[in-house]
Amino acid sequence: MNPPPAHDLAARQAELVAALVSGAPVPAGFDARLVGVARTALLRKRAGDVARHWPLLAAGFGPDWGATFAHWAAGRPTQGSLRDGWDLARALARKGELPAPAAEELAIREAGWRYDGASSPRPRRLPAVRRAPGGVVLQLAGRVRVLRRDGGS
Amino acid sequence: MTPQAYGVGIGWRPEISGFIAELPGLRFVEVVAETVPDTGPVPEGLAELAGRGVAVVPHGVKLSLGGAEPVDPERVTHLARVAELVGAPLVSEHIAFVRAGGVEAGHLLPLPRSRAAVDAVVANVARAQAELPVPIALEPIAALFDWPDDELDEAEFLTEILDRTGALLLLDVANVYANAVNRGTDPVALLDRLPLERIAYVHVAGGTEHDGIYHDTHTDPVPSPVLDLVRALCARHRPPALLLERDGHYPPADVLRAELDAIAAAGGYPAVT
Repeated sequence: MNPPPAHDLAARQAELVAALVSGAPVPAGFDARLVGVARTALLRKRAGDVARHWPLLAAGFGPDWGATFAHWAAGRPTQGSLRDGWDLARALARKGELPAPAAEELAIREAGWRYDGASSPRPRRLPAVRRAPGGVVLQLAGRVRVLRRDGGS
Repeated sequence: MTPQAYGVGIGWRPEISGFIAELPGLRFVEVVAETVPDTGPVPEGLAELAGRGVAVVPHGVKLSLGGAEPVDPERVTHLARVAELVGAPLVSEHIAFVRAGGVEAGHLLPLPRSRAAVDAVVANVARAQAELPVPIALEPIAALFDWPDDELDEAEFLTEILDRTGALLLLDVANVYANAVNRGTDPVALLDRLPLERIAYVHVAGGTEHDGIYHDTHTDPVPSPVLDLVRALCARHRPPALLLERDGHYPPADVLRAELDAIAAAGGYPAVT
C-alpha cells in the first residue's frame, strides 16, 4: 500500500474516531477485531469515568453498570463524563428506570445547574426546587439542601 | 528534571490523597492537568505536598499532540497555567490523538508511524513549547491496534520525534510491555533502541488480559513482567524517577504501599513508604 499524502491524516483520524465512537465502519486496512476490542475498551473506560462523576447512578446498577452504560453510549461520542452521565440519567428517568438514589443525585444536579442537553451546564443564579424520591431538593444561592418528607435531611 | 533523582513517586488522585499525604519519603507526584482549574485553587492535598517540597508534574491527557489539526491554544494555555500554579519542574503529555473531526474519542489513540504523523506531532509540540514555562516530556502510549501503513518502527518513530522537538521522554514501561505482548515483540529489544538518557521519568502501572489481549488499565495490580522491565531498564540506565499510576479500584493502603516498595526495589531506589 502506498503511504497516504500528508493532508489525508486529518481525514483518516476522523474516520478512525468515527469507527470507534460513532458506529461508523472500520476504515480499510485496519484489523477489525482489534479495533472492536479498542471500541469496547473505550466504553469500559468511559463507564468508569462517568461512575466517578455520577457515583449513585453507577451504584444503582451494581454489576450491570458497565453493560447499562455501554448499551446507551455505543454510537454516541462522549460529551465529557459529566454530560454523558447527565444525559443517561435523564433518559433513564424518562423511562422510569432510574434507581431512587440516582434520581436524588440527578435532582441535586438539576437544582444547582442549568443544563440544556447541548452545551456545558452552568450554575443557576435563581433558586430552584426539584422533586426527588421521598422529598424535594432545594437550591438557594448555590447551596443545595435535600428536604425529606419523613423529616430527616 | 534530569539532574535531580526523585526516586519513586505516585500519580496524585483525590481518592488516595490521604494515603499519599502519609508517604514519608515521597518527593514526586503527578497530577492529571485537566483536573486542576487554571484559575486555581490547586486541590488541597496537592497544595500541601507542593508546600513541603514535593515536585508536582502536570500530566496532560487531552492536548491531542498527535492530531492532524493544530493543538488547541486554550488547552496549551491551561497546561502552562497549571504548571505555574504548582511550580512544576516539567509537564508531560502523550504521543497520541484524542479527537478528530470535532469528535472526542474519550481516550488516547495511536498514530500511524508515518512521516506525516511525525510532522504533525513535531508541529504541535513546537506550538506547545512556545508557551510552556517548563520542558515537556512525551509519553508513547499503549496501542490496542496499529495503523495499516506504518513507515517507521516504534524506536525510529519515537527517536525522530524526540530529536526534532528536543523534548524529554516519559517512558511508560507498562505501555512498552503491553505493546510487546500484543504485537508479539521483545520489550527489552525496544529499550535497547530508545534514547534512555532522555528519560525524564518512568510510568509503572498495572493491567489485565481480556480475550488474549493485554489492557493497560491502571486499575489492576502491576504484574511481575512489568517490574522485570523496570529492572531491565534500570540495569541499562536508571531514570531519575519511577512513578506508579493507579486510576481506580484502589486497593487497601498496605497493598498500595507494597506495590510502591516493589517498584523501589526493582529500580534500586529507597522505599518512600
